[in-house]
Amino acid sequence: MAERVRVVVVDDHSIFRSGLKADLDDTIEVVGEAHDVESAVRAVTDASPDVVLLDVHLPGAAVPAGTSGGAEVIRRAANTVPGTKFLALSVSDKAEDVVGVIRAGARGYITKGSSGADVSRAVHAVAGGDAVFSPKLAGFVLDAFGAAVGETAQASDELDRLSAREQEVMRLIARGYAYKEVASELFISTKTVETHVSAVLRKLQLSSRHELTAWANARRLL
Amino acid sequence: MDERTAEAAEATAPAVPAGPAAASAPPERKLTRPRDCVATGVSAGLAEHLAWPVWVVRAGFVVSNIAAGAGLMLYVWLWALTPWSPGEERPSRSAPVAWMLVAASTFFLAPVWLTQASGAGYVAPVASWLGPTLAGIGLAVAAGAWATFVDRSETARGPRHELVIRIAATVLLAVTTLTFVAVLGWSTSTAKTYGAAFIAFAALVGIALVYLPTLLAQWRELSDERTKRIREEQRSEIAAHLHDSVLQTLALIQNRAGATSEVARIARAQERELRDWLFAGDAPVDSDLGTDLRDFGAALEIDYAVTVDVVVVGEIRERASGELAAAAREAMLNAARHAGGEVSVYVESSREAVEVFVRDRGPGFSLAEVPGDRLGVRESIIGRMRRAGGSGSVAPGAGGVGTEVRLRFPAERAGNAGGIGGEVPRG
Repeated sequence: MAERVRVVVVDDHSIFRSGLKADLDDTIEVVGEAHDVESAVRAVTDASPDVVLLDVHLPGAAVPAGTSGGAEVIRRAANTVPGTKFLALSVSDKAEDVVGVIRAGARGYITKGSSGADVSRAVHAVAGGDAVFSPKLAGFVLDAFGAAVGETAQASDELDRLSAREQEVMRLIARGYAYKEVASELFISTKTVETHVSAVLRKLQLSSRHELTAWANARRLL
Repeated sequence: MDERTAEAAEATAPAVPAGPAAASAPPERKLTRPRDCVATGVSAGLAEHLAWPVWVVRAGFVVSNIAAGAGLMLYVWLWALTPWSPGEERPSRSAPVAWMLVAASTFFLAPVWLTQASGAGYVAPVASWLGPTLAGIGLAVAAGAWATFVDRSETARGPRHELVIRIAATVLLAVTTLTFVAVLGWSTSTAKTYGAAFIAFAALVGIALVYLPTLLAQWRELSDERTKRIREEQRSEIAAHLHDSVLQTLALIQNRAGATSEVARIARAQERELRDWLFAGDAPVDSDLGTDLRDFGAALEIDYAVTVDVVVVGEIRERASGELAAAAREAMLNAARHAGGEVSVYVESSREAVEVFVRDRGPGFSLAEVPGDRLGVRESIIGRMRRAGGSGSVAPGAGGVGTEVRLRFPAERAGNAGGIGGEVPRG
């Protein structure tokens, strides 16, 4: 926790950026700011930070229809700064927003209503290589991968379904458990929980299950 | 004083109906038209009202026409002012009135066509055909109007019948127009020219009248459509704007004020309300368990220093009125009242069961410490679930932090027992 994390804050509202900057704890150093897609890509490639705090709804000149500005930033910048992790900031946790930006490559998302301490914790988690899952995202994943109707992956490399263990972890996260609490509940180490969550995130990014897109469009997660 | 008068009136009131006048008065027979009638129900209704045979009433209408059409006027007047007899079903008419009007129109128009076409019209004076032709045109228009406004609502006839009648009326009027356009060609007198031109024009107007209602309806539909589209566009514009400005600001307020402060709670409630309004279009109308608990959570956030996060997984068939929902609400209320802070609610509906988890991070309590006479948790959550055929438990949360209530309802019971609630067999 002690090591410093360099972040770039991307949000089109300057008042939100300054508020967030003031709230982040001392271990986080803001090395750049941006307000739209173009300036964000520039700021990220210039500073090459550890983590980018990225607003999902970002204005930009050339954002293709059907995708968000945040996802576009990741698509354009990710190749030039391979070491940088993206953490999405979203005003809503609507599935199509969140899933879109995660499938573009974000390592997790956090709602804008979260406290500075929460955001700081999430930044550290992402910087350390972990995925940040909220209860709602976990619920979405369980739904999208058919966990509720009893679909379970048979092989570990299967992308379209979750393994039994991954389902257990996701269920507990959806119930509001922190990673540490999930670990103690399942009698495994926190590191193992993080591994499972990262595996689920990878499936969420790579899977081609049609539910992932269809579900998100058909139902708006509040 | 007013009170006393009212009291006095009340005291005398019961005496009135008991009086001899009231007792001997015949039951009032209202003049109504029967819903199952021949054409309009006027004759049948009047006959019933007067207790005369129907044919007498009909004959009366016909005969009284001698006095400057008084019978017809009375008929139309009664038709307009007499209500249908009370009932639910649509009126049905046994007489094909629209076809009768078409036939009557043909009866007037056909001879006119024949005389004009045969050359007999060459000598016929204007006065001899002007009246019948106008009558025929009027009847054709009436047939169209009847089919449009009266017959259409009848299941036995409907839109197809309406179309056929309209075509018949159009044919009658079009032939009349053509006939008199031809007459214009060989007209020998000014009177004849004007008369023919007038009739041709009147028939054209008649055709327009036959189609006017449909055109009007279509035009109205079109403009409704346009208004709706514009409104929709405006709405999404407003939604986009609010999303960018107000929702962001509300999020910022929550962020700056600390999750459980009064200001943050108000901002959160406001945000939720705004979001509901913005996306109201695609919200499910019927309330299921998930929606209900989400709404309940939102209500709790206003009353208590708590943020409630409701996550729903699976297709929820459980209704909001069931015992499971009641128990879950009770658990959420408990968490809000005694723990506060962050409360997580998780609802999962699988093939085997519907499960609800309510988790808080408060000081926590153990069931054993709660005295038996305190009905709260024991009775309203666990007891309720057990009686309804499910199960419930209250345990410390993971790592000994807070409390977690777990409710489970087997799926085969979820369909009926969950919905009816009180009628579930006990034991």
